[in-house]
Amino acid sequence: MAEVQNSNPTILNAADLPTRSRSAEKKAGDYGLGIFAAVPKPADFLSSDSEGDEDLLEEPIDEQEIYDLIKSISDPEHPLSLGELAVVSLPDISIKPTLPNVPDSPLQTVTVLITPTITHCSLATVIGLGVRVRLEQSLPPRFRVDVRIKEGTHSTGDEVNKQLGDKERVAAALENGALMQVIAKMMETCQ
Amino acid sequence: MSALQTFMLVVDHDKEEAKRIAEGVAQDVESKKTTLIEIVQQLGEYINDEDPILRGKAVSFLTSVIKALPPKFLSRQQIQVLTSFFCDRIEDGGAVAGLDTLQKLDRFTKELAAEIVQSLFSHFQDLQSRSQSQRFQVYQLLNELMSSHRAALRDMGETSLVGIVDLMTGEKDPRNLMMVFSILKVVMMEWDITSHVELLFDSVYNYFPITFRPPPNDPYGITAQDLKGRLQDCISSTRHFAPHSIPALLDKLDSTSPNVKKDALNTLIACIHSYDPDTVSRYSITIWEVLKFEILNAQEEFLSESSLQALQAIAQRLSEGVTQVSQDLPLAQYLRPITKECNEQLQEPQQKQAKPAQQILKSLSSASAVTFTLIVQTVVAPIFTIYQEADGIAKQRALLETLSVLFESAIQVFGQWTTRGDEVTLENPLLEFKDQFSDVLGQALMGAAKEEVSFRVTALKGFLRLSTLRDFFQDNEIGLFVQYLDEILLQEESVGRNDLKKEAIAALAEISKHKPRLIMDITFPAFVATLPDEDDGTNLTYLSTLDTLAQISVERDIFETLFRRLFSKLTILLQKEQPGAIAYPRAILMTLLYVMQQRKMDTDPSVDLYFDKIVIGVCRSVSESASGKGKNQILNDATILDTLGRLCNLLVRSVSLQKQEQVAENVYKLFSATEDFVPVPFAQGATADQERTIIISTYLLAGLFKDCGNRIPYTTPNMSELLSDLVQRCVSETSEPATHLAFLRHLALLVNKFLSKEDLNIAEKLFDGLLSSEKNTYSPATIRTIFWLSKALVLRLAPTTTHVITSLLSLLSSPDQQTSSSTARGFSILLGEDDVLSTTNGASIRLLCKQRVFTTVIPMISSRIREVNVAGSDESSKALDHIKPAHLTALTGILSTISTALVMPELPTLLPLLLQSLDLQTSDSVAVRAATLDTLAVIIRDNGVAVIDKCGHVHSLVVRLLKTTEIKSDVVNPPRLRADSLKCLYLLAAQQTPGDAGSNARLPPSISPLLPEKTNVLRSLRAVLDDPKRDVRKAAVDARSAWLRGVDDAPEEED
Repeated sequence: MAEVQNSNPTILNAADLPTRSRSAEKKAGDYGLGIFAAVPKPADFLSSDSEGDEDLLEEPIDEQEIYDLIKSISDPEHPLSLGELAVVSLPDISIKPTLPNVPDSPLQTVTVLITPTITHCSLATVIGLGVRVRLEQSLPPRFRVDVRIKEGTHSTGDEVNKQLGDKERVAAALENGALMQVIAKMMETCQ
Repeated sequence: MSALQTFMLVVDHDKEEAKRIAEGVAQDVESKKTTLIEIVQQLGEYINDEDPILRGKAVSFLTSVIKALPPKFLSRQQIQVLTSFFCDRIEDGGAVAGLDTLQKLDRFTKELAAEIVQSLFSHFQDLQSRSQSQRFQVYQLLNELMSSHRAALRDMGETSLVGIVDLMTGEKDPRNLMMVFSILKVVMMEWDITSHVELLFDSVYNYFPITFRPPPNDPYGITAQDLKGRLQDCISSTRHFAPHSIPALLDKLDSTSPNVKKDALNTLIACIHSYDPDTVSRYSITIWEVLKFEILNAQEEFLSESSLQALQAIAQRLSEGVTQVSQDLPLAQYLRPITKECNEQLQEPQQKQAKPAQQILKSLSSASAVTFTLIVQTVVAPIFTIYQEADGIAKQRALLETLSVLFESAIQVFGQWTTRGDEVTLENPLLEFKDQFSDVLGQALMGAAKEEVSFRVTALKGFLRLSTLRDFFQDNEIGLFVQYLDEILLQEESVGRNDLKKEAIAALAEISKHKPRLIMDITFPAFVATLPDEDDGTNLTYLSTLDTLAQISVERDIFETLFRRLFSKLTILLQKEQPGAIAYPRAILMTLLYVMQQRKMDTDPSVDLYFDKIVIGVCRSVSESASGKGKNQILNDATILDTLGRLCNLLVRSVSLQKQEQVAENVYKLFSATEDFVPVPFAQGATADQERTIIISTYLLAGLFKDCGNRIPYTTPNMSELLSDLVQRCVSETSEPATHLAFLRHLALLVNKFLSKEDLNIAEKLFDGLLSSEKNTYSPATIRTIFWLSKALVLRLAPTTTHVITSLLSLLSSPDQQTSSSTARGFSILLGEDDVLSTTNGASIRLLCKQRVFTTVIPMISSRIREVNVAGSDESSKALDHIKPAHLTALTGILSTISTALVMPELPTLLPLLLQSLDLQTSDSVAVRAATLDTLAVIIRDNGVAVIDKCGHVHSLVVRLLKTTEIKSDVVNPPRLRADSLKCLYLLAAQQTPGDAGSNARLPPSISPLLPEKTNVLRSLRAVLDDPKRDVRKAAVDARSAWLRGVDDAPEEED
């Protein structure tokens, strides 16, 4: 990869990427905001932490969470993240039950569609592998991970998908030291 | 034996003795017992010997004798003869040193210097085959001649030039090279070098790039950087080198090594700074052509930065002395291809390479006013064209960012409104586009869809820069911007993270520094008009209005306006019979407090006004309300009194001693004018309303200087009565929490700050009195009183400190569970920060008190827990089950209030205790475990896993942390604990080597102490990835990837 293939891709502004809105969690207009937070309330003396009901509230894994996991992976070609380059995007992530006929099954399938920056990008496979490795390391075992190239965005998309979908080929690729180094480098920026 | 012979015998092994002999001979010469001729004649028999060592020793003898002579002794003729003698024998040891001695003499002449140099050139053609020290001596002589007889050498013209270069060609030793470079630099700068440019250039450039690496334990103290610096000075010394140096340096940028490129760029920058503008101009475009690549395809950040610096330096050099802007300037020719390139890249402003194009514009346009003008003339119009044709907001935003970069340069070049100093004579070229900017930015800020936050923020920042730019906008134009900001803040709904409103407030605050009048005339009326007369519960927008007002009112004039407006609102509220919710007056007070905290009140000329209105006026109203004479209940509210108290505290600290004394006398009376008001101390059957005024009294007391102590009522002849009364009120269970806290603080303040050393026994007696119960059972209020009294004593390190701490610890072992657990929680009070008993308020807090408490407490807790553990197997001790958790709680209370630096030496004792805290599983231990995890996180973050490994507790720690991440029915691990322990696991793997511990020291690759745990951790964390809480899952992902990545068999070797 001595030659950079796409030297001038379009970049999204980091502030414009989709994020989870926290507004629901903090009630606006309260004393807890702005300058009023600087003055402590008259201390409730020796009080212990109160455990709110919200501790019992369950927060299931959703598409935004998957997106947050992979958006900060670096592109192997640029010092930019997959999110900024729009290689991964929120609408292209879906979570579905793996066995729709078995309602009680906890198994879920995550599908991530990747959009390479140019249609002949030879690094698409590497990026796909990187996303896959990141998700497999970060999701509980009941999740199946399916990473594919988005239809019509790559000249050899089918070929790449075959590679990414084939368990044995993926396993073989992950034994490759040089490749793993590239992938480890991509994931250094994941926080 | 003659002196000469003795000298030759001893010179090798006894330098001192040899020196003494030579000095003896020199004295003989001086006293005319012998002559120099005789000495030279004596040398005769050795001087032609075949053995060079023998010859050298003989010559050294003569040198030593000359050295020992007084400087004016030798006649001109003698110097001449001796010089010739040494020159003939220059290859023999000692001769060079002899010449060095001679050339320092006053009677030494120009001709002789030339003779020496000639002789150096003719005899030392093989210099490089001689030893390092010999070469060093020769260079030193040459260097000396250079500095004392430079004219003589320069007059020799090319003879000396070529001679010097030849003499030193091939030198490799770093010590010698340092000297070689400095000698050559003089030649380059002062000789006429026109016919030998290439020779001279090659003589130094051959050394580029310097790859020298000092040997380990470097004895000479010469670094690669020293050599690089001198070499760089040589290369940049004269413009004549330019035809050679610049192409050669640019060639070096093809190197694959970033370090070589860095050296080449640094040298290039030095050349640009040192060659004359004409020369720089000749190469300017060539340099751009090459550096362009480094910036647009940046490999390394620092290379692109240096390249930008070089381009900027060229622009600065070419701007020197230019007063008229014209397209014929060399500067304009230089800039033309650059702006062309940038314009092309900016056609697609969202693409990656638009960023470097922006950087180029930024560094060049800030180079000088002329450069700025030339760039603006060619760049701004095309940007407007693209902007008009842009098909999307993202593109427009990128263009606005580029414009904003230019505005920033404009500020650097032309200054801000507040910038002092001369104005730039050139007219700001942006003025031509002023109306366009105003339209485009205004349209983007106010006309864009509300959801386009980042676009609007960009427009806002651009507008702000132009508004602060000196002599750019008219006041009414800035006023328009201020109106936009007001509209955003007052009328718009918040979108997303509220970024736009935050930026708008920051912008108003920034403008308030430059144009306070506009804020007062436009923003103030608009904002104050929206403030309600009272809070009827329907509308809470006044909170954000006050918040904004507070943040933009830090400037003096504006604050005074703010104070007047808010104070009159408050006064009206106090007069109302139905004043609405208490939150509103409190918010007003908090707003005033916030701004006063941001300002330096003690230098504010209006401070006395604020003092009279608030401290005297409102406090008096408080006393009226307390005796039931208020129009409403506002000033009876504890939260109002607390905020008001803080405000008074701040003001009292800022006024003169005279006023302070007045306050001291009124601490309890509160400037009261009515007879009905009864001050709190010694009052019998005071109502809750009356008691509550102690909150104000406490804050007033805290703000007083120590010297006012004797003005406080009830303190003569001593404080005994007053303190006893306060203790009575403190231990009473009946007062409200806020009033109670104020009593405790009041007591502590008096004891800590105002009680004299001689009277300390009063406090000690009170302490012992409190602890006199026989059953070792105390009420929570009593325990709090004990702790606050202890705090007051311990912070000033009273003589009884150890006794105090021991007594407190013994309470932990009380058989009464209530007493024990209240005591345990009290330990966080002991050293905790307090707003009243603070250094700002002049409390006596000794530097060593924290250390003292910690080192006293730790061993005692540790041994007590050991006792309990041993006794734990015993059936009869069931009743004492609470003692161990109580001690651990006390420990975390102390730990949460001291810095880890103090903790580290005690870590071996401490760590087992912390691990035992993690073993607690009940719900009432959550706070203890959370505090323990906090402490562990700090320890690991600052010191890495090594310190834990040293204590041998890695395994036990990891197991306990993993256990805390589990969700089980019989263990209470709330989400916060789970996330905190995951954070500790993350830090363990991420901080394996402490950041600063000698990055140069090459440790042998060792196996990570975490390796044995790796499999277990990864397996356990896999389950945590399915935690029901998102924050916990996130922490688990981070911890797991840190262990996957960071824990390996051997640390990676650096390339």
